Amino acid sequence: MGVNGNGRPATRVVKIRVRRYDPETGRRWWQEYRVEAKKGTTVLDALLRIKAEQDHTLAMRYSCRMGACGSCGMLINKMPRLACETQLLDLGTDTVTIEPLPNFPVLRDLITDFGDFFKKHRDIMPYIVRESKKENEEPYREYYMPPDELNKIIRFSYCIMCGLCYAACPVVAIDKKFLGPQALGQAYRWVTDVRDEGLRLRLEKVDDKHGVWRCHFAGSCSAACPKGVDPAQGIQLLRSKLVALTAGARREKKPTHVATPTTVRYVDVGDAPKPTVEDKSLLVKHLEETAQELEQDLPYVAQALRDYLRTITSS
Amino acid sequence: MGERRKPRFLENRLGIAGNIIPWVLMIRDNPERVAFVLHRLTGLLLIIYLPVHIFVTSMTVNPQKWEDFLLLEENPLAQFFLWILFGSIVFHGLNGIRLLLVEGLGKGIGKPEPPEPPYKPTSLSSTQRTWLYAVFAIWLVVWIVGGIILFREFGWF
Ligand code: HEM
Ligand code: SF4
Ligand code: FES
Repeated sequence: MGVNGNGRPATRVVKIRVRRYDPETGRRWWQEYRVEAKKGTTVLDALLRIKAEQDHTLAMRYSCRMGACGSCGMLINKMPRLACETQLLDLGTDTVTIEPLPNFPVLRDLITDFGDFFKKHRDIMPYIVRESKKENEEPYREYYMPPDELNKIIRFSYCIMCGLCYAACPVVAIDKKFLGPQALGQAYRWVTDVRDEGLRLRLEKVDDKHGVWRCHFAGSCSAACPKGVDPAQGIQLLRSKLVALTAGARREKKPTHVATPTTVRYVDVGDAPKPTVEDKSLLVKHLEETAQELEQDLPYVAQALRDYLRTITSS
Repeated sequence: MGERRKPRFLENRLGIAGNIIPWVLMIRDNPERVAFVLHRLTGLLLIIYLPVHIFVTSMTVNPQKWEDFLLLEENPLAQFFLWILFGSIVFHGLNGIRLLLVEGLGKGIGKPEPPEPPYKPTSLSSTQRTWLYAVFAIWLVVWIVGGIILFREFGWF
């Protein structure tokens, strides 16, 4: 057995205790395995090795193995963690306990049911909602969003829906209907989005005793989140926004309009490269023809081309 | 092969245990959760004490009853309870102010900036956390000093 830089053995045998569940008999039990761990061995690696070499009946869920898909949330040494982002030796214990994520129904062993969790996310309408029905059903162009506006919501966009916050929340633990940190954090993300006009519609779910008012800022969601999403911050900002709106201290934001290709030049990207077509009239002719061709099938693209034409002919 | 039975799924909600028993669930770097549990417990205690308090103060209308009640204060258990109650009010009030600022006005939790490594949640490292430590510190000092004064008054030492 080799020794690594700090004098500790490079590999170590770790005892893994898994809390298992069989849905057909309803039996729940602890099972022990032993795996050799070295620097870099994740909990997910260990479970997969157990499944391959020791016990193929062990069930768990995973996909990306790199903290991007949010499938492998588990209770590891009583902490809600991503199995693929937790290294066995980092935990520093000789025995590592692995249980299914709490606050989610257990389907088998470490696999939990995310149905309620996803439904709550859908309930807050995690997409751009516009007042105009036509715009909602037949969106035809991107919306205008300045970079500083994007910065206000990007933190919440990093959510991978792993459910660690939901497992950590003491209020979810006692109130089945509570929307939970993930959905409420996303509700803040969407009502803050300048392109969105759906505040009133979302309030139906959010402005409720099982909604934003149920949170008591225990902050565990943010402490548990592997992506730095900070749902607790989102919830407090959402709630204070409702307080301010109710008190009349703040007015609802004005949403931006549909972007035209000319407004998309918001970011200063420096000068455009020299035109490769020296004779501008050739380009103009080409654009006009293309716009005409597309008139029938893709009128929006044709319109965009004409908008662009106007900018190059006016300069 | 054995007969397949209808699968039953396990409701795995932590319930009250997940709120108050620390080893059921461990969340690191989260004193806010401690404050949440204490705020709940002290709030409940205060609400239970409220009718008692109204009943007790109503006794002052009848001086004889009031005198009888004051005898109760000689009971060490009642004296101890009074001290617990005092601590509860101090913590609940101080932390309540912090919660009003955080939850009602969105103060002390920072701004939602784009996250940068190591992806620390802003709300747990902003001014709110400082307020929280101040609440704990002031509470303990007031509670202990108040206790010394109270118990000296009661003649414990
Ligand atoms: C000193 C003045 C007080 C302040 C500033 C205060 C503040 C607060 C705040 C902000 C909350 C909401 C906590 C949260 O969202 O988690 C709360 C909850 C509560 N308060 Fe007070 N409070 C005060 C006095 C009282 C008194 C005198 C009682 C009892 C009669 C009381 C009983 C409660 C109860 C039962 C709760 C609910 C606890 C929970 O849901 O966790 N409070 N208080
Ligand atoms: S907010 Fe964080 S902990 Fe919650 S589901 Fe999203 S990524 Fe996971
Ligand atoms: S396997 Fe995708 S997040 Fe862990």
